Amino acid sequence: MARLLRPFEYREPQTVPEAVRMLSEYGAQAQVLAGGTDLIVSMKKRQISPQYIVYIKDIPDLNNVHYSQETGLTIGALATHRAIADSSIIKDRYNLLATACSKIGTPQVRNMGTIGGNICKAGPSQDTPPVLLVLDARLKLVSLGGERVVPIDTFFLAPFKTVLQQGELLTEIQIPPPPPTSAGCYKWATKIVTIDETLVGVAVLMSVDSADGVCTDIKIALGSVAPTPMRARQAEAVLRGKRIDDRLIEQAAQVAAGETRPRSRADYRRRMSRLLVSEAIAETWQKIR
Amino acid sequence: MKQIATFIVNEKHYELAIESHMLLVEVLRDELGLTGTKHSCGIGNCGACTVLINGRATLSCLTLALTVQGKGITTIEGLAQGTTLHPIQKTFVEHGAIQCGYCTPGMVLSAKALLDKNLNPAEQEVKHALSGNLCRCTGYIKIIDAVLAAAEAMSKEAHP
Repeated sequence: MARLLRPFEYREPQTVPEAVRMLSEYGAQAQVLAGGTDLIVSMKKRQISPQYIVYIKDIPDLNNVHYSQETGLTIGALATHRAIADSSIIKDRYNLLATACSKIGTPQVRNMGTIGGNICKAGPSQDTPPVLLVLDARLKLVSLGGERVVPIDTFFLAPFKTVLQQGELLTEIQIPPPPPTSAGCYKWATKIVTIDETLVGVAVLMSVDSADGVCTDIKIALGSVAPTPMRARQAEAVLRGKRIDDRLIEQAAQVAAGETRPRSRADYRRRMSRLLVSEAIAETWQKIR
Repeated sequence: MKQIATFIVNEKHYELAIESHMLLVEVLRDELGLTGTKHSCGIGNCGACTVLINGRATLSCLTLALTVQGKGITTIEGLAQGTTLHPIQKTFVEHGAIQCGYCTPGMVLSAKALLDKNLNPAEQEVKHALSGNLCRCTGYIKIIDAVLAAAEAMSKEAHP
């Protein structure tokens, strides 16, 4: 009987050490399976034909969401987009991350897909990377040799390429506590329809001194406008240390648009970058005031 | 190489010999003859293959069968009790929410996933819950009406 997928050997490790041992042994012949919303599609399209599937989604304790005021947020790599979007602590303290995760795909895709899978896929148009960039996330990568923690701004190398080595597994995302008197937001435009690939994604995290309205710090990151998710550092410099007003926001938005390096629909993407950065900063400012 | 796996579908246990590369939609349709679940876009956009796994709307065409062994799977066939329709099925019929019927199983199950958690959804919440189920026939209005009517009926049943 003709089947939709080509045959493979299926493995279901029960622990992270077991999983990384398998990944080390099978090397390039293996693919990690969690939610499947990306991998199974690629396999159906014959873009990938792994000989081994290492299914990790049921490994215990890899999907926890934990927050403390001192250490901040840790999210297990297997936390689904749905769990993150619904998490009361993330909605309260890191609202932009909940927003980004609630935008991904459809309700079914959000029930299945994981934040770890989203990050490791490293598609230029994905929604969580720009948010994680402004949140200064760090990624815990585990292998047979041990573990390392990598800042997210060094993780993405090129479209669909990251520093993750063969035999390495992303297990945890670590996010520092939110700065005092700060807020953030995530805004986006899609390509054609509402449930669609992101055309431009903008994440902002800003701290404002409540006494004099001076922006003490701001981080702006954009997705889908460059080979990898990017920080708009020149735009940030426009606002950092200054009293915020509409004119300055517009200037920062203009600078941010100039920092983008879009490949396709470049002119439209630059215009939308400018618009969305402006809206995102204004909205964030309103949240703090 | 086949292996024996246990599936719990609509509260019945099935022991099947399946290959590791079989998708849940293939097991349901080809091995169990439960053809209510449809395979349509195949890439996670249309929702026609939606089933409930432990109550959560899940795409059976992107799920390897072996990964849901032992988990509670609900297909559209599991909703009616004999000839008594589930309230959502009833309102879909009453409101003319079914034309060709291809999207209907997925639509009804996504609606069930919503109403099993929230018996008083706002219209926007219904639309959001169904946003992963595409319909090419109806224009969605009667589907949304049917889900809201089912919510009311189920609510009355829960709190008479």
